[in-house]
Amino acid sequence: MKRRDFIRTSALAGGGLLLSFHAMARYIDGKPVATDSDVLGDYVKITPQGDVLFQFVKHEMGQGVSTAMAQILAEELCADWERVKIEFPMADKKFEHDTGGSCTMIYQWDRLRLAGAVARQMLVEAAARQWNTPAANCYAAHHEVINKTTSQRLGFGALASAAGKLAPPPEATLKDKRDFQIIGQPKPAKLIPDIVTGQLKYGIDVNVPGMLYAVIARCPVFKGQLKGFDATNALKVKGVKKVFTTKPIAGLQLESPYMPHDIREGVVVVADSFWAARKGRDLLKIEWDEGPNAKYNTEDFEALAAEHALHRTDPTGYTGDENAVADVGHVRKTLRASYVFPHQIHACMEPLNCTAHSHPDGCELWLGTQAPHLIVFELNRVFRFAEDKIKIHLLPSGGGFGRRYYPDMAVEAAFISKEAGHVPVKMIWTREDDHLHNLGHLFQHLEYQVGLDKDNKLYAWYEKEIRTYTWGAKYADPQLPFMGYNIPNIRYDFEDMIQQELVQSSAWRGVVGHGRFYHECFIDEIAADQKIDPYQFRLSLLRNDDVYVGDPIPVSGSRLRRVLTLAAEKAKWGKALPAGQGMGMAVCIYGGSYVAVIAEVTVRDHQLRVDKVTIGVDCGKVINPSGTSNQITGGIVWSLTALFYGGLPIKNGRAVYSNFHQNKLLRMNECPAMEVHFVETDEERPGGVGEISSALGVPAVLNAIFAATGKRIRKVPLRADAFA
Amino acid sequence: MATFILHINQTSREVDVDPQMPLLWVIRDFLGLTGTKYGCGIAQCGACTVHLDGKAVRSCSIPMSAVGAKNITTIEGLSPNGQHALQRAWQQEDVPQCGYCQAGQIMTAAAFLEQQPHPTDDDITRAMSGNLCRCGTYLRIHAAIKRAASQTTTP
Repeated sequence: MKRRDFIRTSALAGGGLLLSFHAMARYIDGKPVATDSDVLGDYVKITPQGDVLFQFVKHEMGQGVSTAMAQILAEELCADWERVKIEFPMADKKFEHDTGGSCTMIYQWDRLRLAGAVARQMLVEAAARQWNTPAANCYAAHHEVINKTTSQRLGFGALASAAGKLAPPPEATLKDKRDFQIIGQPKPAKLIPDIVTGQLKYGIDVNVPGMLYAVIARCPVFKGQLKGFDATNALKVKGVKKVFTTKPIAGLQLESPYMPHDIREGVVVVADSFWAARKGRDLLKIEWDEGPNAKYNTEDFEALAAEHALHRTDPTGYTGDENAVADVGHVRKTLRASYVFPHQIHACMEPLNCTAHSHPDGCELWLGTQAPHLIVFELNRVFRFAEDKIKIHLLPSGGGFGRRYYPDMAVEAAFISKEAGHVPVKMIWTREDDHLHNLGHLFQHLEYQVGLDKDNKLYAWYEKEIRTYTWGAKYADPQLPFMGYNIPNIRYDFEDMIQQELVQSSAWRGVVGHGRFYHECFIDEIAADQKIDPYQFRLSLLRNDDVYVGDPIPVSGSRLRRVLTLAAEKAKWGKALPAGQGMGMAVCIYGGSYVAVIAEVTVRDHQLRVDKVTIGVDCGKVINPSGTSNQITGGIVWSLTALFYGGLPIKNGRAVYSNFHQNKLLRMNECPAMEVHFVETDEERPGGVGEISSALGVPAVLNAIFAATGKRIRKVPLRADAFA
Repeated sequence: MATFILHINQTSREVDVDPQMPLLWVIRDFLGLTGTKYGCGIAQCGACTVHLDGKAVRSCSIPMSAVGAKNITTIEGLSPNGQHALQRAWQQEDVPQCGYCQAGQIMTAAAFLEQQPHPTDDDITRAMSGNLCRCGTYLRIHAAIKRAASQTTTP
């Protein structure tokens, strides 16, 4: 396919250039490849005033991609960074909105560069025609096109309308990375001026004329049902308009592609203010049938998982001999350990919400979502709304962390608007709703066993994972432990416990890494058994080549080694520490990026304090070192919350904790000093950075606790008596 | 329902609401000032922080009946043009990630710096530990407050 077949341009109404991509463009070996399957969309508008309006089709939830993506585009365009603005377009089937899995920068890098380069060349061409000189005699710099011979200059604004009438060039030439002036710069996030003045509109801030408000009393027990309700008192609250049940849309939604989720049965209160709706809800009398989980507790589930973990299943993948740990001819010593990462709450600072205005044959919605396509799919499935009758206004959100991938809030809001008489309704989850009956992060139990040979070398590694979520898949992917250690025989078993779980599981920041990177703790245990320094032990085991673990992205042993060495050097690994203090390390790959975390802790007076965390990073090409560091330090805070306060305990089917006074989050006074160091690298492409540290703080700190106290902790959160 | 006159961001606004309604929801849903955020509703997270006669308060936990004639300042009224020393420092230190808690962080910090223009590191940490940030931007919030404080004139 020729470039001009998949890049379309058009003149903007009122003049200017609108550059669209109608298919994905990707460079492989310098050649563009186009498919019709996924599309980033309308990239950029340049107005006659010279504003570059970057059409941001991904979801901004704090991971900083709106700024980073704009930087790539602006770089190739040779735009003045101050003239670049971010706009949030409506959801559109042809756009690749889907945002998750630390994938955005990996997949947008080529397309954004290409888009910027194409737009730049069209502006140059427009100027060249105006000056009646070959385009080769002109170049773009700092928001202008310059004539090499005459030194004449024309601004992008002055050229935009003429450029919009040109056909896109057959080839686009990308800038040499040595000429980068915007990529690699620590540009403050583009949305900050609106954030610090309270002007940035999140989903929860939407105001639609005539809008009502709704809250839902949802069943407190997973798989429970509504038996009946009495709304007499609720309807007496001034402002309360309607009370009805969500039964028709509730239940486990297993048909949702890749993203099974749950909509709890409940009773909706619709009112003319949030406060009246909430007051009305408090006065509802509801009878629940609490169903099969009515007497179920977290301890029961975890005991069941521990039992399942002891049984061998068929290996999902193995290298070498699949039964090596049982090979008594080779194995002279066996070490075992079990680790647990419990369910977690997402606790996005912006509580879940959606504003919807249903019509008899369609719906208009306003919300922050990581997956608009899933919403369209679900609204079509549940209400039979035609796809083109579903209009979604995409807004940034106050945290997504995987929770905003699921479409349930949109289904709830569309249903409420419909039942309320096709009026616009803003539905808000209270913070108690968020904590008491939400989707939770998946549960993981890891069962490890290794065999050492007669020379005390690691001969066999066995790992079994129990997990409560697989995105609808039959087994785990990747199919081997996600590590770069050189062990001759590795086996990975997987078993899901989706049927037995206590809450509907979902994705979380760091997703499956939280459980699977416990191997960094078990590696520490083996090192301790061998009386070898954990850093030296890792260096002796790390491969020098790439290993495929069943995932498209291989694990590079040498890149793991480099981040680990950098972090060890910066943290002064091995320095003498007083009694009660210790250092621990962990290293991993995530989202195509490599990270090593070294934690320094003090255990004194039965209390743990995390003093300092040093992080070595290789995320390939760094688009924005400031935003990247922010993500990485934020990820450590995320992991420390899981360590100190995490978990989602369930008693008699009900979540025990209702709000932040019980479900605590790490606060400033508990925040360690943190340093982020980047590996110097010639990598040409960026990796993901939003999740790379979030699953690694826990193993690093647990290893540091062992170094400080000799105590192995194999489950988070820390118990109150952990250091008694 | 009752009628209240609110003195907010240097103007007066009249509202007819339930006297029990927390100030937060009046500000957001009746006055349309959505910069002040709902986070928890029980004064645990600080996202809803506004100033009442210059003091930082959690607007989710103050009923309308308790506001009286006090002057309310929200993030929209902190400075005429978004150029308060803290707003500039937030930009310079590239503080926010999702940004949802940051209005509350800035309002808490602004009232604190009024009281204590030259705080120590520990003073800042103590003043800010009531505000949650799920993205984990604490070190940058701390740095930005320090930067803003250093730019005010020494006595």
